[in-house]
Amino acid sequence: MSQSTLSSSASGPRPGENTWIWLIKIATGPLLVIVLLLHFIANHYFGSMSSGLMTYEDVIKYFQNPIIPAIEILFLITVVTHSLIGLRGIILDMNPSRNTLKIVTWLLTILGVSSVVYGIWLALTIASKGS
Amino acid sequence: MNNTRNQPSARKFWSWFMPVGRQAGSWAFALNRITAIGLTFYLFLHLGVLSLLAQGPGAYDDFLVLTENPFIKLGELAVVAAAILHGLNGIRIILTSFGVGVTRQKQLFYGFMLISVLVILIFTARMY
Amino acid sequence: MTEQWNITLRIYRQKENEAPHFDNFKMEVNPDEYVLDAVERAWAFHDRTICFRHACHHSTCGACGMRVNGVEKLTCITLIRDVTKNGATLKVEPLRNFPVVSDLAVDMGPFYRKMEAVGARPVLPVTEAEIENPPAKWDTDDAQYIRLSDCIECGLCISACPVMATTPEYLGPAPLAAAQDNGIKRKPELLSIVDCEDGVWRCHSVFECTAVCPSFVDPARRIMDLRKQVVGARVRKLFGKA
Repeated sequence: MSQSTLSSSASGPRPGENTWIWLIKIATGPLLVIVLLLHFIANHYFGSMSSGLMTYEDVIKYFQNPIIPAIEILFLITVVTHSLIGLRGIILDMNPSRNTLKIVTWLLTILGVSSVVYGIWLALTIASKGS
Repeated sequence: MNNTRNQPSARKFWSWFMPVGRQAGSWAFALNRITAIGLTFYLFLHLGVLSLLAQGPGAYDDFLVLTENPFIKLGELAVVAAAILHGLNGIRIILTSFGVGVTRQKQLFYGFMLISVLVILIFTARMY
Repeated sequence: MTEQWNITLRIYRQKENEAPHFDNFKMEVNPDEYVLDAVERAWAFHDRTICFRHACHHSTCGACGMRVNGVEKLTCITLIRDVTKNGATLKVEPLRNFPVVSDLAVDMGPFYRKMEAVGARPVLPVTEAEIENPPAKWDTDDAQYIRLSDCIECGLCISACPVMATTPEYLGPAPLAAAQDNGIKRKPELLSIVDCEDGVWRCHSVFECTAVCPSFVDPARRIMDLRKQVVGARVRKLFGKA
């Protein structure tokens, strides 16, 4: 049995996706189910508005407990990772060229990293407004 | 032979979202993919809106008034629906990927859809 | 007196340098015959230019796979009675995701190459087959050729898979099922072939392949098992126990 019978294999099987990327995607999934539930309950049931939503003042107070920005940042990293790996998977299903895939991966990485950096900045900014 | 019809092509991605005449798994796939795209869009929208919190009380509390708007509420309901559908389908994928429930994947899908519909109805009742 | 139905057989036609279209053939058929019989009759008595593949007529060669009313079927075992009714239309098209050679016949070449690449075990004389723990002596001379794998390489699963629709490089259900049948422990060289962009991770648990398989291969279950094998192999490698 030789690999050269595969149509794509001038350079061997294409490495665009592997076990670890998939495992990260499906590990972040159930984690998200739990954290999303907590996030949703906290943000919709403990606020002072009639709908249960938090006002600006509520949010500032909520972020004074250091556990909260920690969990929210963890949530952000998990959801951005899951979402962007998934999005890349959809693009992989459309058989992109090597170059297109490289560009897409870079763009998604930059988007992901900058979202997390922005989120950390935002969480710390909000937390600092209470002092 | 220069016929290119009937061949695989990226342009046929629309067929992912038209599982008419196909079995349950195709519907699960279409739903999972649509909700994935919708939720990703919402995620970045949500992150953007949260920047209002850094601008002080006025900006964010003004925005909160919008959340009482019934159309915005409908949008929020769609997000909740998408999250439930995507989450439960994801659990189905994880279970079957590790050999659990493979022979009962259709029933898993129908069961999860039932739960989703119930939860969505509960949320609709609470919101309106 | 056998039952007779009047149906319209609607066949996809595509010759080189011609636009594809459908031809309708009004025919009298016995509903307990098979769709393949109807196609053959259309060829024999209506239009000798209809091109289609068929061989064994008993679901063992895999040649006659087509789409019947939009769903993948092995036409030699698909009763006319099960897919249409008296006075109705019966639409027959080639399998999806394969280039059309002519009318209902498609180019199976790339698919066969993928099966070969994963070492899909063909029918072999038992003395030559690599079987774990073979019996010391085979029972009878009649057992000279034994089918080692349920897969008849008909391609219905490839046609039904939504991922195959958009990316021809994907190995696809049948090759992945064949890889699982071989096993990564038995053939470690398969690991890099299936743990890649075009391997197990392109599968999205749609299960259409298992739904249309006429030969009880259950490719979806095999792909899930192959995933377990791949994850196990990678984790073992990580901890240095390759």
